[in-house]
Amino acid sequence: MTKERIFKDLFSAVVSLDEEKGVRAANELIKEKLDPLEGIEKGLSEGMKVIGEKFDKLEVFLPELLMAADVFNSTMEVLGPEILIRGKKVEKKGTVVIGTVKGDIHEIGKDIVAMLLETAGFAVHNLGKDISVSTFLEQAKQLKADIIAMSSLLTTTMLAQKELIDILKAEKKRDKYTIMIGGAPTSQAWADEIGADGYGKTAKDAVSLALKLVSQKREEERDG
Amino acid sequence: MVSFEEVINRTLTGPYCSEKDYNLKVFVPKLRKVVKKYQIKYDPENPIPSDDDLADRVFKAGVELYANVGTYCVDTGRIIQFTKEEIQEALATAPSAPVFGEGKDAKPLVTRKPESDTPPWCFLGACGAGVSNEEIFISIIQGYGKIPFVDSITTPSLTTFNGIPIHAGSPSEILACIRTAILAREGLRRVGKPGLPIMNSIATAVSDAGKIAGSQFGLRPSDGWLIGAMAEMKVNLERLNEIAYVLSLGGHVVAETAPILGGYCGGPEGVAVTNVAYHIQSILVYRGSCQDTFPIHIKSSCNTGRGVLWAISISNQAITLNSHFPLLNISIIASGPMTEMEFYETAAHVITSIVSGGSIESCGGAKNVCIDHFTPMMPRWASEIAYAVVGMERADVNEIVKQIIRKYENNLSNPPKGKKYQDCFNIKTSEPNREYIALYRKAKKELGDYGLKFKY
Repeated sequence: MTKERIFKDLFSAVVSLDEEKGVRAANELIKEKLDPLEGIEKGLSEGMKVIGEKFDKLEVFLPELLMAADVFNSTMEVLGPEILIRGKKVEKKGTVVIGTVKGDIHEIGKDIVAMLLETAGFAVHNLGKDISVSTFLEQAKQLKADIIAMSSLLTTTMLAQKELIDILKAEKKRDKYTIMIGGAPTSQAWADEIGADGYGKTAKDAVSLALKLVSQKREEERDG
Repeated sequence: MVSFEEVINRTLTGPYCSEKDYNLKVFVPKLRKVVKKYQIKYDPENPIPSDDDLADRVFKAGVELYANVGTYCVDTGRIIQFTKEEIQEALATAPSAPVFGEGKDAKPLVTRKPESDTPPWCFLGACGAGVSNEEIFISIIQGYGKIPFVDSITTPSLTTFNGIPIHAGSPSEILACIRTAILAREGLRRVGKPGLPIMNSIATAVSDAGKIAGSQFGLRPSDGWLIGAMAEMKVNLERLNEIAYVLSLGGHVVAETAPILGGYCGGPEGVAVTNVAYHIQSILVYRGSCQDTFPIHIKSSCNTGRGVLWAISISNQAITLNSHFPLLNISIIASGPMTEMEFYETAAHVITSIVSGGSIESCGGAKNVCIDHFTPMMPRWASEIAYAVVGMERADVNEIVKQIIRKYENNLSNPPKGKKYQDCFNIKTSEPNREYIALYRKAKKELGDYGLKFKY
């Protein structure tokens, strides 16, 4: 099987939500001694991009988005060990700790963001819902997170986003993490008011923002 | 009907399933199967269909869906299942005309039918939108109490009390919930409506403790104790705790539901069928005295777009033609106060709901998420529209709604946020300013020209 054919199969496995096809194409890639990283980039990630765009236009719905992510992850389970055998590693774009703040049990939007961040190349630790500020901070420290992403759907819970930032400022650790916020009552104005680094209006915006903020952070680190 | 004790039992003994599997392997495939089996097809050209057979099929699909998926308890991982016989029994014995309120403000919430001239129930207010302080809170409540067609009110959520920001799950939430009940009751007393029911219980409450504590300071069993379902077809133990408390008081649960277009329901067809399944869940699990629903769009976070309106219309027709359990529809509009768009959005939602057989809960604006961005103007407008269209035919209002939708649908992704309450109303008198009155009169004239017959 040609390289292009295998990459195309990886791509179409994600778009057509065909887990078996994805796993088969991944095994074929290994058999043909092709570069798994190239397969991820040109096959799986491209497929996720297309599904993400379709979801953005509601040409497909949330179940398709989640099923595509399952195909992506199942295929990665085949390609992951091969990447290690070849002495390579999947360069993660960054580590994200994400959750819905304390008192708030809404998590569909947050889960979409977590899933899209993961397939965009981030190591994502989805803490779930009703997460206390201290849990966010402990997990971020333990996992050496680049980004803390907090979601809130209620006007009475969004204050937790400010609370976390205030603690970081008080402990002089604000620069340690990039803070992203989202959720229906939040806005760019709220992000500016509380001193967050960014606000994502949609899941797609959140991913673009995370990529931009992490890239800026890397540049700043390089420039010393 | 299956007892509440048995429902609790089933949260511990029903089939175990992970939440992800419930979403993707139970709910989604079963929903898609019934949508296909009953040949339910969305028609974007006709937001208000006039097809009783389609409505009946949507109802049958919803009953079959609920018999197959039940309600998932997220805390125990169990599916609370019911047989078709138990569902039929629940539909046959559900409340039909619960009486809300006290004294001369008491009134039965009666079930309506599509095209019916039965007066609608007007549940008016903020739908829990956030308000910045207590002064504005009480001023807005007085404004709601003064609306001529008001049957019950829905209060805002306080975000501060005594100037202190409220943190959910903390003692400040408990204290703010208590303040909410006291102020709401006082606001209604000031306008001579002491018996008017508050039908969204304690909007400020996030926790069960907040709701129960706050209620001790002014809520009555004859009020509406709004308890929300979790999307899709889920419940948790906190909500069941609230239900246990309200049932023991002899109070009315207002079962709030919100199927999401673009989420696990998929498109408008899935939303319509799921709304019917929620209707049954509202009776059996939430033990409601009525269903209060707001199908909502996953992207625009409002329910005035074409696809959601179709789902609201056909599911209202399906439910009200086949069930006597009362149904209310919550409007979530994208635009904010003192914009032309809010008048159009509210009109489209209310006309759709009323002529399709439901009653209304009219809310504020700006998707209910911007602090102070709501006023008594939209609830008043909604109630006037509701009374203006009772008895009209679906085919006629379909044409009117199509004209109205065209005026705003391209702006739903970027709606005007509008002004704050204090910038378009007088806080002391709870009356709108001249500019706002001029906008209202203009909209009323335009809708009158479309064929609506306002009562005053």
